[in-house]
Amino acid sequence: MSDLEARIGGELVAPDGWRVDWVDRTAGLARVSDVTTSRLVLVEGSGTSWVVTVAGRRIAVIVESWRERTLAAADVTASAGGGPLDVKASLPGLVVSIAVATGSTVTAGEALLTIEAMKMQNEVRAPRDGIVGEVVVAAGSAVATGQLLLRLD
Amino acid sequence: MTAGRPFRRLLVANRGEIAVRIIRACRELGIESIAVHSEADVDALHVRLADRSVLIGAASPAASYLSIDRIVAAAREAGADAVHPGYGFLSENAAFARAVEAAGIVFVGPPPAAIEALGDKLAARRAVAGAGVPLVPGLTVPLDDDVAIDPAQLGFPIMLKAAAGGGGRGMRRVNEAGELAAALAVARREAQTAFGDATVYAERLISPARHVEIQLLGDQHGHLVCLGERDCSVQRRNQKLVEESPSPAVTPQLRAAMFDCARRVAGTVAFHSAATVEFLLDVAGDHYFLEMNTRLQVEHGVTELVTGLDLVAWQIRIAAGEPLPDDLTDRTPSGHAIEVRLYAEDPWDGFRPVAGNVSAFRMPDGPGVRVDAGVEAGTRLPVDYDPLLAKLLVHAADRPAAIARLRRALDETLIGGVQTDAGFLRWLVDDDAFASGDYDTGLIAERWRDGPAADPAQLAIAGAVALAARIDAPASVAGAAPIAAGVRPWTDAARREGLSR
Repeated sequence: MSDLEARIGGELVAPDGWRVDWVDRTAGLARVSDVTTSRLVLVEGSGTSWVVTVAGRRIAVIVESWRERTLAAADVTASAGGGPLDVKASLPGLVVSIAVATGSTVTAGEALLTIEAMKMQNEVRAPRDGIVGEVVVAAGSAVATGQLLLRLD
Repeated sequence: MTAGRPFRRLLVANRGEIAVRIIRACRELGIESIAVHSEADVDALHVRLADRSVLIGAASPAASYLSIDRIVAAAREAGADAVHPGYGFLSENAAFARAVEAAGIVFVGPPPAAIEALGDKLAARRAVAGAGVPLVPGLTVPLDDDVAIDPAQLGFPIMLKAAAGGGGRGMRRVNEAGELAAALAVARREAQTAFGDATVYAERLISPARHVEIQLLGDQHGHLVCLGERDCSVQRRNQKLVEESPSPAVTPQLRAAMFDCARRVAGTVAFHSAATVEFLLDVAGDHYFLEMNTRLQVEHGVTELVTGLDLVAWQIRIAAGEPLPDDLTDRTPSGHAIEVRLYAEDPWDGFRPVAGNVSAFRMPDGPGVRVDAGVEAGTRLPVDYDPLLAKLLVHAADRPAAIARLRRALDETLIGGVQTDAGFLRWLVDDDAFASGDYDTGLIAERWRDGPAADPAQLAIAGAVALAARIDAPASVAGAAPIAAGVRPWTDAARREGLSR
């Protein structure tokens, strides 16, 4: 028997009480039911990383065995420990302005820079408190999804 | 109505769901449809549904959907005898309408002079004030750096608006004098990007307010009708997410007064085709003119459901010179219709637009449900355009029945690959303020805020399905643990024991 476990945001999830029937496994379409209700949900992903769309919300789920989790935890320990944090573009667009510079002290939620995409000005905010290290992009830079914008020390 | 098709071949100068909507109208009228597309839209739904499509340029709107020269050249080369601009892009661009007409092609929309007069929101404010229509107090001249706002005259908070604007773009709320300079810079930049004109003006902010608009339809023979109202008060970023008709806030007396105002506004220009006169309602029930949009609205389908009229078909017929039926008069909405807009955006992250691929796209059907979609499963969403995926509309006998139908329809909706606002919309139908009808444009900011956390049942479902997905993963995508087809007794056992109680 498998020792797979599901985690959402690091928290172990008990999937008790829900029956899963595939409507179309290839498309990731499933009917989920308990004794009283039943609904269609969508699941996408592969390996340990899955996204389930339930009631219009995309929920990221990590499905791992004990062995996989132990290896992943070792990776995180090696790279974390309050070290620098890369702030990356969550969508492609044009950097129109930068509100901070190397050495700026920022608090979580503070605007770092503005990216124009989909005809909107989108503010990129600090994910945590910190001091701005290297600012990799400049106003006018075109950025792709996942591209490094700046480092937070 | 005359027999035969109004035009032989119509070019649709737009993309996405509205291009699909116009192509469908052409099909029903027996008109050949010519789509246009940018390099980013080669595989788009509207391109595949049209009789044929012309590549007009690069992904950037300026190089394609906003290029008057390229679209007129495409229409000429395709032998089109009419052009429909849809909404957004060049739909309210008088120079485009004139260029189309100069090429000997009929522009499906109001006369260019009317587009020009009403498209300049400042000039429109001056003209409309002269026609005795109540206006939101504010400036009737551009807000330049050297024009100091006199707070005693206008009073903060104020709303900055693009003179060439519409659709909520280039709008910024300013709470106090100290915020003005920064807000002005952002509003100008958005106005320049969206409309090619950075002129901005200021109005007093009316809050709380409802946003209610009147649909107009007029032919070229002087017959003009008001087709009821739409309440568009569920907004984020000053842009509509939900529209309904009739408005829960509009009494028969108020409707009559707004119809009268709408006629006065239209009367300031020589007008035909479809247009919308937008108003704000304050808590006292007074209405103030905002702007008149000389084009089809995104939310036109709401009016189609409560009037039984096909506004797009009528726009095309009117452009060909057909008169409206003599017995068509002002309409009070029949039954109740609600539209929700499905956007690729994250309502749990400030409704931020998201890019990606629409991996799955299951839309509802059944009684009283209409879907106007611009995408399908497999569509890649270009980052260059508005992230509207589809509009879901319901129609029922009254408002409670329409809300119940919408709830059912949203439960049938499943969109994969990108986060959408579907979860917000599903929350909205159960929200007490929305259900009561007593809500205003502050609903999202005050009641949704950043949205509720996922409830335990949703988390348990997500966990159960993800576990089942990994256990039952097809061999080709199983990653670390490929499984020979048909040989997986342990997975079935695990599923029975762990998941199927």
